[in-house]
Amino acid sequence: MTVLTLVALVWESPLLGTLLALIVLIACLVVGVHLSYVGKLLAVMLPFYLLMLITQGFFANDLIRSRTGQTTLTPLFSLPDSWWLVGGTTMSVEGLLYALNSMAKTLTMMLVIPLVVFTTDVNTMIVGLVKARVPYKIAFIFSSTLRFFPLLFGDVQAIIQAQRLRGLAFETMGPIRRLRVYARIAVPLILGAVVKSQQLEIVLQSKAFSGSPQRTYLHESRLAFADYAVLIFAGLFIVVAAVLYIAFDIGKFGGPL
Amino acid sequence: MKPSIETPAARSSDCRTEASAVFDGVSYLYPRTQEPALKDINLTILRGEFLGVIGPTGAGKTTLCLTLNGIVPQAFGGRFFGYVKVAGLDTLNHPISAMAQHVGMVFEDPDTQLTATSVENEIAFALENLRVPRDEMRRRISWALEIVRLEGKEHKHPFELSGGEKQRLAIAAALALRPEILVLDEPTSQLDPVGVQEVFAILRDLNRTLGITVVIAGHAAEEMAEHADRLALLVHGELVTTGTPEAVYGDVERLNKIGVRPPQVTETFYLLGNGTLPDLPVRLEDGLRLLETWPRTHACQGAPCEQPARPAPPVSSARQTTTPLLSAQALHHTYADGTQALKGISLEIHRGEYVLIAGQNGAGKSTLVKHFLNLLQPTLGTTSVNGIDTRRLRMSDLARIIGYVAQNPDHQIFTATVEDEVAFALRHLGRSTDQVSAAVTRSLEAVGLLDARDRHPLALPKGDRTRVIIAAVLAMDPEVLIFDEPTMGQDDQGAQAILDITRRLHQQGKTVVTITHHLHLMPAYAERMILMGKGVKLLDAPIRQALHDVDLLAATYLAPPQAVWLARALCEADEPGAAALVTPEDVAGCLAGQAPPMEVRH
Repeated sequence: MTVLTLVALVWESPLLGTLLALIVLIACLVVGVHLSYVGKLLAVMLPFYLLMLITQGFFANDLIRSRTGQTTLTPLFSLPDSWWLVGGTTMSVEGLLYALNSMAKTLTMMLVIPLVVFTTDVNTMIVGLVKARVPYKIAFIFSSTLRFFPLLFGDVQAIIQAQRLRGLAFETMGPIRRLRVYARIAVPLILGAVVKSQQLEIVLQSKAFSGSPQRTYLHESRLAFADYAVLIFAGLFIVVAAVLYIAFDIGKFGGPL
Repeated sequence: MKPSIETPAARSSDCRTEASAVFDGVSYLYPRTQEPALKDINLTILRGEFLGVIGPTGAGKTTLCLTLNGIVPQAFGGRFFGYVKVAGLDTLNHPISAMAQHVGMVFEDPDTQLTATSVENEIAFALENLRVPRDEMRRRISWALEIVRLEGKEHKHPFELSGGEKQRLAIAAALALRPEILVLDEPTSQLDPVGVQEVFAILRDLNRTLGITVVIAGHAAEEMAEHADRLALLVHGELVTTGTPEAVYGDVERLNKIGVRPPQVTETFYLLGNGTLPDLPVRLEDGLRLLETWPRTHACQGAPCEQPARPAPPVSSARQTTTPLLSAQALHHTYADGTQALKGISLEIHRGEYVLIAGQNGAGKSTLVKHFLNLLQPTLGTTSVNGIDTRRLRMSDLARIIGYVAQNPDHQIFTATVEDEVAFALRHLGRSTDQVSAAVTRSLEAVGLLDARDRHPLALPKGDRTRVIIAAVLAMDPEVLIFDEPTMGQDDQGAQAILDITRRLHQQGKTVVTITHHLHLMPAYAERMILMGKGVKLLDAPIRQALHDVDLLAATYLAPPQAVWLARALCEADEPGAAALVTPEDVAGCLAGQAPPMEVRH
């Protein structure tokens, strides 16, 4: 996860970035992340991406010139001069590519999260984290966040539904008004979370939880051959990527690939 | 059961004491409070005993449970007097984690008390904290799962379990500690009747077969009387009495004063003897036995006992000519994951009706009503409101015709005062200030919360929070009100207070639909009952007739009220007019030779 995120951050080649995002996407689908989930993610991001394409494509010319050292950009098409405010601006190929690159980056990072969550049993993760000398308390907080996230998500849906059932016509509301109504979700959500965490504290105490690392584990963390293989591959991948990046400019924006 | 695991009873065969837990002069005040939550409690809980803790909401039942493992006062602070000893250990001197080995706790909410992501890890969690070796852990997990009958589900995620299974898992997790005492705080109040039965069956097994001491707090009178050896009655933090279920539930006058409901069988014979009958029965079987010897009057004027063929819905000819307010025709709904929630439901609800929709969890009750609000759309078939297809109406328009009071009031409160909450939707709909304030006053008056208009909704007790939501929905002046499990998690008084509001609204001309498992309360309110099971409509009949269809009720895991069982027994014992008797008053009236109150009593 870390390796992929790191590489996604560093690589600025639109081609390699898109390839990486695609690989992660395919991996997600292979391990059974719901298509609808991925679809939702894309739907949420789509407006941002469109905005990115337009702004980068039209207006990021100076930025790109300084990044690539190119003095002229490849024009794709220009808007007529007569257009108000935007007249005369040129959509450049490099700008589009740069936007594509940013999209691939964010997408990779976002898709990596469900990939990890879906493929890793939380309990195995805790045991693994503790073995890797992460304090048990932190590992526990991490895992219980994952455990209670779906509950919180269910709450959000119930609250939004309750608001709509009060007869609020979101369809006809202005965006500011809508935002103000949505902000109200925080009230029951936060109070609900406070109540839940109080209950959870009582539950944990009565289960003898003290956050002490002095405990036993039902499952052992044993690294299997596949785990080592993945670790080695990840290590090699990052080294190769670094070497290519430094020595051959592969992965740099405007580099050979 | 695997013999390799020693039970607590066997472990402490030396029996320093026969007591599992002792309260000696215990009083307790939560921090920043003046009123004690517990007042001078003296109580000895015997080893192997099944103790029920009963009392109205706010009596201190939960506090009493939490003193047993030292969470009160160790985690809360506050002022604590006297001492509690569990398994010979003073709860003040031993850390909660040490007490946890001796006290297995089970709480009310099935979701918050499960902390792990698989069944076996849930059970292992407390054992891991107590540093139990891995092999021993494995043995205890399979032992505990076998007892609660969840074998084979080790690797399931708790989310995949039903409500009853979740509570059984919580019991298994507590049990794996091999505790001296198992303490359960309202473990069944969020469950449907199937879940309640599952949990009590397990507890009885544990107690009778393994001799584990069980302390359970709750409101389920019939189950408490059936299973408990002894009851402790708490009121305002005071232990009013302890005794056998016969002694505690038999004192109906005292219970009425306190606001605790006795089992229906007890109430029936209390009414029958005008309060003079000694030794009132508290279990159904005892009541049935007593009934056999009771002189026959042959004066029951309920419906004839021979069940007529299941009739058509009770639609009068006048109603048939008008457009139904709510209508579903051959409605199917299949969820995205492939679950067929509704399989061809057809029904019509007319203006001015009070309809009860009942059925087990997953029967499709909520799914059905969500179609009327356009929260869900039919997979096949149609739903309409006032004759208009719901798919053509916006949810915001529907919400002005149908007021929907959803289950959890805490998901529906968005503001800081009761008044703002009721005005919330109206303000966003751009009504004038005068209109809003008139509507707010009118709605708060209808639910009896006018005095609380400046209070914070979340500072109110749960029953009142539900009332705030009802008022907020009423402010829109809808024609129909749909209440989805409005009485969940409340004691009988709280449940009745809310149902009384629904009745008042019905009298004022609103159409009311109530979804609930609490059948025993409903004959006083609903006229018509729609029974659902696994996505189909099993029955649509007048409520008195429907409650006597015990086979169909059983098919969707609902138990009829005890009074119905008594009436069925009368039917079999040559009392031809005993059908349609559904409340203790009905049955007592019949046996006393009085005409039963056949109308829905207002």
